[in-house]
Amino acid sequence: MKLKRGKMLVDPPDCASSDIAFTLIIFFLVCAAVQPETGMPQMLPKTEAKTEKREQSQNIEVSITPTSIVLNGSPLQLPEFAQRIAAALKPKTREADRIVVVKSAPDTPYPTWVHVSQAIGQAGGILTLELESERTINVK
Amino acid sequence: MKLPRKKLTASVPTFAMGDIAFLLLIFFVILARAQDDSHIQWQPARLKDVTMAAAPRASVTIDTGYKTYLDGKETSPAELAAALSKILGDAPAGQRNVFLKVHREARASHFEPVIAAISEAGGDLIHILEPEEKPATP
Repeated sequence: MKLKRGKMLVDPPDCASSDIAFTLIIFFLVCAAVQPETGMPQMLPKTEAKTEKREQSQNIEVSITPTSIVLNGSPLQLPEFAQRIAAALKPKTREADRIVVVKSAPDTPYPTWVHVSQAIGQAGGILTLELESERTINVK
Repeated sequence: MKLPRKKLTASVPTFAMGDIAFLLLIFFVILARAQDDSHIQWQPARLKDVTMAAAPRASVTIDTGYKTYLDGKETSPAELAAALSKILGDAPAGQRNVFLKVHREARASHFEPVIAAISEAGGDLIHILEPEEKPATP
């Protein structure tokens, strides 16, 4: 008579499972925390008082709408705008002359605004927002 | 004859230590997430030539529903300037970074009052954007 040999059950040791889970969480937390962020800095001087003197007639004016960018009355597309604003600001040496007044239509998309803002910044202009509420903010 | 009494040892069971640590960690992770703004839904706009952003003092977000959040808590643009001034305090220039995370579909009527509020609080504005992908070369 043959006696059947009992099968030995081999369980993987699980005493360290929680420690492994703990280490994995730490790993993913660290990975999430060090994700770098990229962006475009803009120096914002504090908002000036309402009675601030403005020399709008001498400043470059830019109007942004969802479909076009208007520079001193001429509608342009972004690549052309970047060239024209750089050319317009090149001869201006005084900081006060480098102010660019930007008026945005309420439905202007954020990406368009950011592209225009970058073009003005790269051309050396000082961006000034003109809001509907008659407040002026200088953005360098 | 004296029989020696067996000493009873009382030890703290340590089987569950790992599980306790795990649960504590989950607790603190949830607590930390409640203070940051990673739960806010927004998609960044794309731009060429973006730079690495320095650590912020505060983070302002406009989400997909065009609601404004300051450090993960919903606020209104009207209240933003005062709240930001409180956070920024007397920090010197260069250490007053404020991240502005605007959902790419937001309009000027949503983000301009927020920029005005950051300006009023004297924050150093950093638009958080995604780098534009370069076209694949054949």
